Amino acid sequence: MSVVAEKKKEVAAKWLEEFELTTPNRLGAANGEVKTKQEKAIKEFSEIGVPDKKLEDFKYTNVRLYLNDEFTVKGASTRLRQSDVRDFFFEGHVSIVTVNGRFVKELSSMKNLPKEVTVKNLFTALKENKQTTAADINSREDKHNPMIMMNTALSFDGLFIEVPAGYVCNETIHIVNISSGNVKALYNPRNVIKVGEGASLTVIESYQSVDLLEKIFTNAVTEITVGKDATLNNYILQNDDALANQSNVHQVTVGNAGKFNSVTVTVNGGMVRNDLNIAINGENCEIHMHGLFVVKDGHHIDNHTLVEHNMPNCFSNELYKGIIGDGGTGVFNGKIYVHQDAQKTNAYQSNKNILLGDKATINTKPQLEIYADDVKCSHGTTTGRIDEDALFYLQTRGLNENLARKVLLKAFTGEISDTINDDAFRRYIEEIIQGHIA
Amino acid sequence: MLEIKNLKVSVEGKEILKGLNLKVNKGEVHAIMGPNGAGKSTLASVIAGKEDYEVTGGSILFNGKDILELSPDERAKEGVFLAFQYPIEIPGVTTINFLKTAVNEIRAYRGEEPMEAKEFLTMLKEKQKLVQIDTNLTGRSVNEGFSGGEKKRNEIFQMAMLKPQLAVLDETDSGLDIDALRIVAEGVNRLRSKENAFLVITHYQRLLEYIVPDFVHVLFDGRIVKSGKKELALELEEKGYDWIKKEFSEIPA
Repeated sequence: MSVVAEKKKEVAAKWLEEFELTTPNRLGAANGEVKTKQEKAIKEFSEIGVPDKKLEDFKYTNVRLYLNDEFTVKGASTRLRQSDVRDFFFEGHVSIVTVNGRFVKELSSMKNLPKEVTVKNLFTALKENKQTTAADINSREDKHNPMIMMNTALSFDGLFIEVPAGYVCNETIHIVNISSGNVKALYNPRNVIKVGEGASLTVIESYQSVDLLEKIFTNAVTEITVGKDATLNNYILQNDDALANQSNVHQVTVGNAGKFNSVTVTVNGGMVRNDLNIAINGENCEIHMHGLFVVKDGHHIDNHTLVEHNMPNCFSNELYKGIIGDGGTGVFNGKIYVHQDAQKTNAYQSNKNILLGDKATINTKPQLEIYADDVKCSHGTTTGRIDEDALFYLQTRGLNENLARKVLLKAFTGEISDTINDDAFRRYIEEIIQGHIA
Repeated sequence: MLEIKNLKVSVEGKEILKGLNLKVNKGEVHAIMGPNGAGKSTLASVIAGKEDYEVTGGSILFNGKDILELSPDERAKEGVFLAFQYPIEIPGVTTINFLKTAVNEIRAYRGEEPMEAKEFLTMLKEKQKLVQIDTNLTGRSVNEGFSGGEKKRNEIFQMAMLKPQLAVLDETDSGLDIDALRIVAEGVNRLRSKENAFLVITHYQRLLEYIVPDFVHVLFDGRIVKSGKKELALELEEKGYDWIKKEFSEIPA
């Protein structure tokens, strides 16, 4: 066995051991088919281990720097009260609280949840085997992403959310994800969100820390199905403590004339790696993906996105913006595949970055692969400093340099926050962004 | 109001202004004319406080205060305004929003309360009318996608809103057709008063038919080499800059 393979085995051995020890707690205990999937996943994962720079998709994000065998899946027990988390709620929203990846009903505020909409533990839902089944676990090819394998193998639980066909949910569902505790832990929350035919839903995911005293690694996977003629707005705010590292994968499948709008705002957290993978499996779909990452000293934020245009007559538009401070590292990797059958595709992708200092780093790679001949596509990236001419112009009108800088950065970020349809959340995001670029 | 004494300015080691003297009093309009490369735009930028210029000698006093020590925004707050030759496009920032900020920053500097929203709107409407600028334009991102004429009109509109004591118009006539020129000039003329002053920088005499100056100065090779009344502009128009060049090129630096 080669040295490299030996090393991988070593790293994986820890997780194999924890896999054995946690059999009664894992999702597989709820559902036999899921158990089989977990066993397959741990086998695949142990061949690869936690990804490092040798994997092309992790070239700029060596997860092994943030996740090693000092972490345990057994996790922390916490005793939070609703008063600890209520500050994160928005008036009128359905607030679903998870602590270290587990749904905690007592901390949640669900009085506005329409009876048509299901929110429950994924474990329970898989056990019932009705609204969701093992088919919803790795419903798509995972492209051999080791983080998905790891999550599949080691997940204990997560959320299951379903809006039935024809139901337009006017209440925003806000998943308030709290990181907490004093255990160096790895959490593998697994979520399934299904929006039925003709249905519509807005889901906010926010990530923040309360009484977090030790490094943690959250390895989340959310599988989303947007049905025929359905709409899902998926807004994400990552604002965790520096102790909280995170890999967050969203696997999205969109059916005929489905609409999926995604906004991902990352302003804090130690290392954050996002994977947004969208498969367009129907015609006349409309996809919008917006992202903003504000990276500060010592932080690392990586956004990977993948759009698979499998069917004709669809539209996808992507705009990710980064503001990288001195000592921070940002990564953007966007891929668009326009497959042979996807004629009349309109696909656009853009990444724009502002570097605030000499020691700010961005690695950006926009990719576009087209196998159909009748399409309109574009992609591009720009990276630069704050426009000095614009800065001077504003100063000559009486704005001091600091204020002028803020006005320009606010304008830069506004293009992203403006795409959020939920007023309360948009205002909150704008405030948070202002706080981080001040 | 403005007193420039023996001003010497270099850009990247090259001396552009070589000892410039100029005095502007309240209520006066001064025109600075000169061939390309004489240092006209450098003078405008240095008065406004652009960083890329190195002042190697001399002084600029504004109401007795040495403004070379002040940042660009402090100069604006003291009452200096620069209408840019090439106004900058700023996506995502509407003219109205940033003017509201600017007006209140200037008021705060003078120890005044922020302007009431209603008062601001009234002033906005009044000044829009004054420079005949479309409300559509002021609601849009600053200069983004504006035509050349719209950009220049937006400069004059901002000037009207900020009410400076000294306005420096840097080649405001460049790129304007005759109708736009007339509108811009009319705006300036309406803003003229006994209390303020204008420094109109231009290559051509054309603008001065509409904004009639009290004094005309010829800037050549980093110095003001000739000063006179408005008739000097006509003389320049007739003879071109060559006679100035011939007359003054011989002067040792």
